[in-house]
Amino acid sequence: MVNYGGDEVSALVVDIGSSSLRAGYAGDDTPKAIIPTTYGYHDTGGDEEMEVEGSATQKRRSLYIGQNGPSMWRQGMEVANPIVDGLINDFSVIPPLIEHALMDVMRCTPSEHPILVTEPTWNTPANRERMAEIMFEQFQVPAFYIANTGVLNAFAAGRGTALVIDVGKTMASVTPVVDGFVLRKGLSYSTLPQLVHAHARHILVTPTSMRRGVELLPHQLIANKVLVDLNAPPRFSIKEDRVLATTNSWRTWAENREVDEWIQSVAGILEQGWNDQLAASRPPKPYEFPTGYNTYFGGERLSVGEQYFYHPPPLVASNPNLPKHIPSLITDTLRSCDAELRQVLSSNVVVTGGGTLFTGFVDRLVSELTRSFPHTKIHAPGNPIERRYGGWLGGSILASLGTFHQLWISKEEWQEHGKAIVGQRCK
Amino acid sequence: MAASAADVRSILSIPEPSAVPGSSQPRKQPSVPTRKPEGISRELYSLIGPSAPSLVALTKPRLKQKPNLGGGSKVKWHLWIDRECRAFKNSARQDALELRHWVKASAPEDAEYPFAKYNIPPNVFTYSQDEYTRFLEDKEWSKEETDYLFKVARDYDVRWFVVYDRYDYPGGVPRTVDDLKERYYSVCRKLVRNRPWAGDEASKAQMITSYLFDKERELTRKKYIVSLENRTPEQIAEEEALFIEVKRLEQNERRFRKERDELLRTIAGIESGLPDIVEDEGLMNLVIDTKKKKRGSTAMDMDSPSTPAIPASFPIVKRPQTAKNAAFDAANCIIRTDPPTTIPVTKAAHQPAHLRSYKLPVPKAAVAPKITAALAELGISHSRLVMPTRDNIMQLESLLEATTALVETKRVVDKVDYDIRVLKSRLGMRESQGAEGRPGGTEAMDVDEGHDGAEVVGEDGRAQSVLSTRSARSRKHTRRSMSISSVDTSGTATTRAGTKRQKRS
Repeated sequence: MVNYGGDEVSALVVDIGSSSLRAGYAGDDTPKAIIPTTYGYHDTGGDEEMEVEGSATQKRRSLYIGQNGPSMWRQGMEVANPIVDGLINDFSVIPPLIEHALMDVMRCTPSEHPILVTEPTWNTPANRERMAEIMFEQFQVPAFYIANTGVLNAFAAGRGTALVIDVGKTMASVTPVVDGFVLRKGLSYSTLPQLVHAHARHILVTPTSMRRGVELLPHQLIANKVLVDLNAPPRFSIKEDRVLATTNSWRTWAENREVDEWIQSVAGILEQGWNDQLAASRPPKPYEFPTGYNTYFGGERLSVGEQYFYHPPPLVASNPNLPKHIPSLITDTLRSCDAELRQVLSSNVVVTGGGTLFTGFVDRLVSELTRSFPHTKIHAPGNPIERRYGGWLGGSILASLGTFHQLWISKEEWQEHGKAIVGQRCK
Repeated sequence: MAASAADVRSILSIPEPSAVPGSSQPRKQPSVPTRKPEGISRELYSLIGPSAPSLVALTKPRLKQKPNLGGGSKVKWHLWIDRECRAFKNSARQDALELRHWVKASAPEDAEYPFAKYNIPPNVFTYSQDEYTRFLEDKEWSKEETDYLFKVARDYDVRWFVVYDRYDYPGGVPRTVDDLKERYYSVCRKLVRNRPWAGDEASKAQMITSYLFDKERELTRKKYIVSLENRTPEQIAEEEALFIEVKRLEQNERRFRKERDELLRTIAGIESGLPDIVEDEGLMNLVIDTKKKKRGSTAMDMDSPSTPAIPASFPIVKRPQTAKNAAFDAANCIIRTDPPTTIPVTKAAHQPAHLRSYKLPVPKAAVAPKITAALAELGISHSRLVMPTRDNIMQLESLLEATTALVETKRVVDKVDYDIRVLKSRLGMRESQGAEGRPGGTEAMDVDEGHDGAEVVGEDGRAQSVLSTRSARSRKHTRRSMSISSVDTSGTATTRAGTKRQKRS
């Protein structure tokens, strides 16, 4: 048992991201529970509570959490996400979310298991202390630890020193990790995925000479539709009663989901940088929207991915707060690192996060990186689960190591030292 | 093995009943006390009986051995059968946290946690206020900041990049990682030097050197790294081009030197002071070597003992050459070649199906231009065969072979001619020297003797010497009394030639 250094103490690993919350047992290779972080709610007011399957109730607000939470249409249901720019902004729903994952999906008792929680590198000390408080006071866990996703992603790739490029749903970050520690001065991150999403949405809703603007209606609002020809105007009827009772937040969430679906199935990127001729030579891809409207997307689908790596000067000039693209994030990080480290980091690049599953992303990244660092070596797991849940996987590895168990913050220590112990222990 | 009725009877000492009349069952043979051999299934054994061919037993499929995971306990099919979930305390922790894990039930209750031993505290010096005021004062650093530095270094196990990243002394001046390292290592050095040392001086000096840190050198090194990184692609290309250029120049120089030596050796002979015999012998070896190689490729392989020939009984798959087949072949211009039976069956020896034009014979690269020139003189182009039929290729092959032999012979003749000329001139020089310089002595006698020999052999000797260079060893005895020229060029160690050479040099 000592040979591979593992000693499982049935710890739990909870990894909260903008799109989903992952939870599972340390030592597993896949999280047991993956639930969306976005939740639906009704402001019921007073004491009246609506009991719906798969939902947790809270004072004066009934929550709809889990796979049937926001995605199920409910009359007057609002939708919200507690995560803003990768950080937990609204702690009031975090306990119900974790409780749903651990108790309803995994069916385990949190007070019996040590829990390892992840945090992004730019997390604030107040946030991590709040998380520790929730774990100890509400879930009564025997031990707790909060680990950095950058470090965990490096561990998941089997490296102690790495340059972690993490592209999630709302944030893109480049984190230098040295000997299992994040170099905070080298961290750079931006809201790049949100820009890409907005760009894709803009492409879809804007009519072009070839096609009309796309109506981003989710299938929940469509009563019936008829098969129509390519580029023909869609013929469908809307569930009028539902449209009237739909809240704006749900509508936005559903439309964003339609855009994401489109990005995931159609959008791509040119591997060697933008080139009009090359873009025109790529085969267009067909896509059918829930309304029944279907068309082919050619060059415009490739311009979506371009946003990750290049921003045209007019766009930069018109928008001073434009999030930095990936190459500039990498450059920023490497510039702030010691000259000696640059070589090591550029030869240990770890690509992780669901955003990097974007078609052609890694190929483009390789070509961009090799241009400036000829000896660069990129580790991008081919398994989509490993890529999307790299942070969780690293946590699973870390929390099942025998040598790690001395680092847990125990309940006793929490009671003795209070919040200060979190910053002291979780370096 | 099931007990038969006979066994039961014998156990209970009941006498064997005589053949039971009307019994449809054939009487069972008294069980033979032979064991079922390993590696043969019970069903098969019962069918074929003890006359099982021994081969069967040998061909038992050997599966990979099961890993021995469970410490040799009898129950191996389930690892967790004798395990229990047990709470344990980690001695590397300061508190009394008890976690639970699965251990073997046989493990001792109060065993030390196996991972606690990996908790190695970083070896960071501490110092007292007194020590600080006596040795460690520095106008750049306050005591508080030094304390802070040592605390951070201890927290992050002296990983300097991390220490530098987390170093944030309130109100302190900004410091680089090298500033931090310099201060830390200078403090360590001073502490080692000034504290009472238990060991000997050598170990103390070694300890101090392990804390040596030269900030200037470190900075220069980093400057080099940065400049190395900031090279433009053009600079890198230029650098590579220069490197290749240097290599070429070196190679040229080496060639020039070799040629100069050769020239000197030729012109000045022994007076050049260069070891000239080596060259000749090397040449000789080369000739022999190539001969060996040539033979090795064809004949050597066949009778070399290391390569096992196919046993005669090996079934060579051969299509029966029936009359019908022969007629068919002739009608379709098929020529069958028997697979070579003497060549060992290896992958390399196997010849897959190929187009004949792929197998056009090509002259060896070394003599190719000469052969081309020779053929061009005759107005033959060998590089393209208009119709590569089997016969044509055979002819081309023989043509090339003949040309190669011709060129080779010409080369050897030229070389030998040249050698003779050189040696003759040398001999002439020696003669004139010997005549005017030293009238007596061994040297003169040797020369005389050689001179005699040369005179005697005359024209015939030259022809012989040509032969002797080609097959030196076999001609050793006849050549012993040959002309000097043949002795020197061949360089074979005939006794007289050997002594002569030693005396000269």
